[in-house]
Amino acid sequence: MTDASLASRATLRRALGLRTVVTTSTGLAFAALEYLAAAGLVAYVSGDSAYIPIVVAGVLALVAYGFFGELNGMFPTAAAIRLYMKRSMDDRAALVITFTYMTTIVLVIASDAFIVGSALAHAFGEPGWVASLWIVGLLAVAVVTNLRGISVAGLLQDVATSVVVLATLVIGVLALVHSGHGLHTPFQPLHGHSPGDLFEAVALGVFLYSAFEWVTTSAEEVRRPESINRGMLIAVGILCVVCSVATVAMSHTLTHNELTSAYPQLYLGIAAIGHSGLWVMAGVTAVTALNTFNGGFITASRFIYGTAREGSLPRQLAHLNDRAVPWVPVVTLGVVSAVVALLVALTHAWQVLVATGAALEAMIYGVAGFCALRLRRRQPDTTRPFRVRGLAVLGPIGVALFGLLAVTASVTVQTRFNPAPLIIILAVGALSAFYVLRVLPGIREREAARRAARPRRRPGR
Amino acid sequence: MASTEELLEAYTEWRARSNANPRLTKMLKGWDRVIHFTTTDTGQGYTMRVEGQQLSELAVGHEGQPDVVVTGTSEDFCDMYWGDLNPSEKYMSGEITLAGSQQDVMRIDAISMVAFLDI
Repeated sequence: MTDASLASRATLRRALGLRTVVTTSTGLAFAALEYLAAAGLVAYVSGDSAYIPIVVAGVLALVAYGFFGELNGMFPTAAAIRLYMKRSMDDRAALVITFTYMTTIVLVIASDAFIVGSALAHAFGEPGWVASLWIVGLLAVAVVTNLRGISVAGLLQDVATSVVVLATLVIGVLALVHSGHGLHTPFQPLHGHSPGDLFEAVALGVFLYSAFEWVTTSAEEVRRPESINRGMLIAVGILCVVCSVATVAMSHTLTHNELTSAYPQLYLGIAAIGHSGLWVMAGVTAVTALNTFNGGFITASRFIYGTAREGSLPRQLAHLNDRAVPWVPVVTLGVVSAVVALLVALTHAWQVLVATGAALEAMIYGVAGFCALRLRRRQPDTTRPFRVRGLAVLGPIGVALFGLLAVTASVTVQTRFNPAPLIIILAVGALSAFYVLRVLPGIREREAARRAARPRRRPGR
Repeated sequence: MASTEELLEAYTEWRARSNANPRLTKMLKGWDRVIHFTTTDTGQGYTMRVEGQQLSELAVGHEGQPDVVVTGTSEDFCDMYWGDLNPSEKYMSGEITLAGSQQDVMRIDAISMVAFLDI
């Protein structure tokens, strides 16, 4: 950027500050699925030690933070993922990985709709099938508000995330206090478990932090670019504390059936403050959807729009409504998310969703490490406002670890071997590859022919 | 490198097309904004305002507090104003950079797309 543009940026009328960056990063990671992942993690480690894999995963999240921090500093734009990936590898491979990764957003939106729907149906004492109506209703509201161009303002997002985080922390502490007994095995994660279980717990733990890096898509909205990195760092710390407390509290107070239900957070609320806790946590669960739906729909639909405008997706996906909202991606996201959420409601296979999300996140963290390493060689002179120290060593270790975690998470569901997540990821990857290798060349050829046939308007050119 | 005169001439075309486009006018309802353009090759600043669903004339220099800051080469801006360049492509390749809210950025891209529907 030139000095003039930097000076101009510094005076932006509406710019995000550090506080909103922190709440955005935390709020994006703290989806309703967080509670299910935390409860699922308890199956892999001895209860009182449940915080250990979360802390270990937090250290790994810091490694990912380093990768994303360096890449975001080089490409402070919402299109960063396209830029650093296509400069690190073949553009076709970059597109296949990016499209596969986008599945995570659908998974998170769908799972939040399912969890919030199930939690509300349970709280109101309604039969299970009513959850399906809640799911469709919630997603319909999300689609309509997005189509009308309504987004959650920074202040509301700050409040919503603060409510979710503080309520979860307080409920977790109260549940621990009310459980009436101290920690028995705080330093024995392997008590009754194998090292493989602990590794799987770490993979799930990584998922608890997942999406904290989505805040990098707000890089153009901040007054000071360095706020993004600081915000991510603080968010990782907040997530580590809150998730550790909530997970240990769940392991202490919930039964196996409660832990494996679609709404363990409601039982945690009851354990903490009685029946009113159910309503508190039902409300908190609903608030998590505000951040997920807002962030998920905007991030994904704008990315699809940008990719379509760039010519890498069909032009129809760039159609705008009268409020300048790319309506085709928004409606498509809503419909696909509803189908996935209803499938989960029918099959009760939410742990497959958790494992798939964990594997995809670990995969993208590994890819980010690869890109950071590759760009050190390919673009050594590019300015890096944030530079990871020891990347030559940390990078390969991080890539290998995240790769291993991705593979582990993709074949394990609830401590059992289950290749369903891997099959889902491979199927989405194969579809993406088919599109990129077979369909996209034709789209690009037609687009090039269309442009070549159009005379230039600029005089003298 | 495009001169300020070339850029102003191109912008005049962009502005006329945009202000005469009923769909775009509808799209800009309630969207009053100040947009700063900065050229990386000539180091020149320009200011565009959107008020009452209409694009203002392009002022030379940065005026007022911006909602969006767009940075690129004078050639790219000139081509964009003439409708010969798809700004999204340049944005996705990192040659045009932006600062501002995602919604505002979308509107600016919408102006280019709707004013020149064949881009």
